[in-house]
Amino acid sequence: MDCMNARSKDKKGKGKSKLERREGLAGLLFVSPTIIYFIVFFLLPLVVCVYASFTNWNILSPNRIFVGTLNYEKLFMDPKFWKALKNTLFMLIPIPIYITFALLFAYACHKNILGQKVFRAIYYLPYISSIVALTLIWMWLFNSQYGLVNSFLSLFVDNPPSWLSDPFWTKWMIVIMISWKLIGFTSIYYIAALKSIPKSYYEAAQIDGAGPRQQFFKITLPLITPTTFYLLVIGMIGSLQTFVEVQMFAPDGGRGYGVGTIVFYIWQKAFSSSQMGYACAIATVFGLFILVVTVVQFTVSRKWVFEGD
Amino acid sequence: MKKKIIIVIMCLTFALSVLGLAGCRQTMEPSTSDTSIEPKVTEESAETTGTEEKIKITFMGWGTDAEIATFKEMLAQYETKYPDVEVEYIVVADNEFDTKLQTMIGAGQCPDAFYSHIDRMMKYAVTGNLYDLTDYVENNEIFDPDNVWECLINLYRFDGNMQGSGSIYALPKDVSVFPVFYNVDLFKAAGVTPPTIDNPWDWNDYLEAAKKLTTGEGDNKIYGTGAYSLESAVWSNGAEWVDQETLTKVQIDDPAFIQALQWCADLRLVHGVAPTASETESLSDYDRFKQGKLAMVGAGTWSLADFWANCDFEWDVMNWPVSPNTGKSEIWFGSAGLSVSSTTANPEAACNLIAYLSFNEDAQRTAYTMGQAIPMLKDMAYGEYMNFEKPPASKEVLFDILENHARLATQSRTFNQEWFNEFYSNIDAVFNGEMTAQQYCESIKDTIQQLLDDSNAQKAEYSKSSN
Repeated sequence: MDCMNARSKDKKGKGKSKLERREGLAGLLFVSPTIIYFIVFFLLPLVVCVYASFTNWNILSPNRIFVGTLNYEKLFMDPKFWKALKNTLFMLIPIPIYITFALLFAYACHKNILGQKVFRAIYYLPYISSIVALTLIWMWLFNSQYGLVNSFLSLFVDNPPSWLSDPFWTKWMIVIMISWKLIGFTSIYYIAALKSIPKSYYEAAQIDGAGPRQQFFKITLPLITPTTFYLLVIGMIGSLQTFVEVQMFAPDGGRGYGVGTIVFYIWQKAFSSSQMGYACAIATVFGLFILVVTVVQFTVSRKWVFEGD
Repeated sequence: MKKKIIIVIMCLTFALSVLGLAGCRQTMEPSTSDTSIEPKVTEESAETTGTEEKIKITFMGWGTDAEIATFKEMLAQYETKYPDVEVEYIVVADNEFDTKLQTMIGAGQCPDAFYSHIDRMMKYAVTGNLYDLTDYVENNEIFDPDNVWECLINLYRFDGNMQGSGSIYALPKDVSVFPVFYNVDLFKAAGVTPPTIDNPWDWNDYLEAAKKLTTGEGDNKIYGTGAYSLESAVWSNGAEWVDQETLTKVQIDDPAFIQALQWCADLRLVHGVAPTASETESLSDYDRFKQGKLAMVGAGTWSLADFWANCDFEWDVMNWPVSPNTGKSEIWFGSAGLSVSSTTANPEAACNLIAYLSFNEDAQRTAYTMGQAIPMLKDMAYGEYMNFEKPPASKEVLFDILENHARLATQSRTFNQEWFNEFYSNIDAVFNGEMTAQQYCESIKDTIQQLLDDSNAQKAEYSKSSN
């Protein structure tokens, strides 16, 4: 403690020693590729995007005329934007589904059930497969006349849904697909989290007479809340950016634009309609929206995420 | 010592990443600061012009594997003919092509020559990204413009406001006609005689034939017709989506338009001669035709190779029926063009390349023998192609359509196609019987008008920002 104080005093006082400066420089050099990567591929485009959102830039002609807040005014009056926003929020539905299943699956793996390694590989497979290939397979699975899913459903209902032509069902199909895809990936995080809980907690609980259910709800769940929180945040950001599934299942945004998401709409506006300025305005507003949601998540997290004593 | 080594390594990493950035610099510049409208010369071409080295030009396109193979072959032939030119061929997936091209233009790295989609040519032309080919077409050494259908050259004219007249901004890479393909075996079995050029069907004849051709139940069900081309029905009936003079006024509430739309929907809804919505979703009309379970389907001539390979029955083509109200028949024709970038450092080589690819006789022959397209050179079309052994037997129908019944689709003549997509986005409501054609057209007219206005406004804005 004394040593640290002395050191910080030293920093404030005489300035850094040669060694420290050298270390600082080495440190900077170590992180520089990442910083440069961040600046070039994230920060600069971000700045350009915000700037372009105030212009009528169309990407094809070099001229960009400043139009003030026109794009933003247009945006709030644009019914397609609101439809796309609604569809995007729909894509949040998979999060609780895959988090629940992933936790159950991780718990089963943690308890050393038979063949867990095989299951782990099978569950992880969708995550590393090409999304385009998966989508094509799913299109066949959900084919309304010849698909496996509807053959199965027709055992129970008379008119199984037209998954690919009715936007309502297309969205549900995407929800099912995303959930299925992310269970394995998410469970890896949970397996790691479960393994990091000290056994002694459970032993102590057992001695105190806690049953398996109590152990799960009083020890396991609270102790993995940091992981759950992390998964919620990245899950939400990921879900809000759903794009490829829409592009594959409903290349025009679906009937009455019932499937198109915001990111899909941004892409359409930027490259099909060549309204890059407008697309940038949507992207800016949507970026702010995600930022706000994430900040809210962090604020609320203080109430339920266990961060240790 | 160790630390020194680490620092040296880090310095190297740093230097490398900075160098990497320098490589990106050229890409970055135009998107951040370049607002001049002077032609940008890419570094690559600038380097090669002054030296005695080969002229390098880049050519970007999309295509099926077969088309790519054909193009590689043709590019090799071109390089043999023009030994001082070297072509770099960039292939992009067709649904990513426009995105990629726009990004490359935005980054000042436009390829010298590239495919030009008819719907989007105006966008590139009005922003000054396309090289004016008018002089070249008149004075070129590769093809005779009189031997090419006039409508094909005119397709790519643009006068700054309308397509169809003015300067030429692309050469047709191919032409696609969209006739009705029919299953000759099913026609014979049902005792239906197909129409001829001189004795065309009208809608009623078509419907009668479709009724006779619709047979069976369940998995053995054979339908008379696939979805009828709405464009053909509307235009043949004397109606239009948008007024043809100014392209500013939506006319989908015209009774002739509504009648045409309802007639198309009724083929399925009232007469049951076309597959239902869920059947179409499971198996497209096109695939159903290939399986011999659909007697008549509208399809483009790009399908020829597929039909040769995958139809085990006899088939042929016929004209679209005439409307009983007007006695005329119209249908769209399609084409993809080849354009040259206005910023190319080697316009001559690039123009020769696209002319060679478009009109070279060997290339045309390869394209039709492989079933990718029909010939664009008149002498070849009416000469050797007529004796070509593979179906369709009625090849003259294709050229009759091209000469007498084909027109450029209206949506290709407007600046963007959003209004048209919007029209189709909920059209299933009519084809599923949830709405009548009248209800649908009335409900959507204002939205479509708004989108068309936006499209026209965007065109005006584009031309303003480029001049």
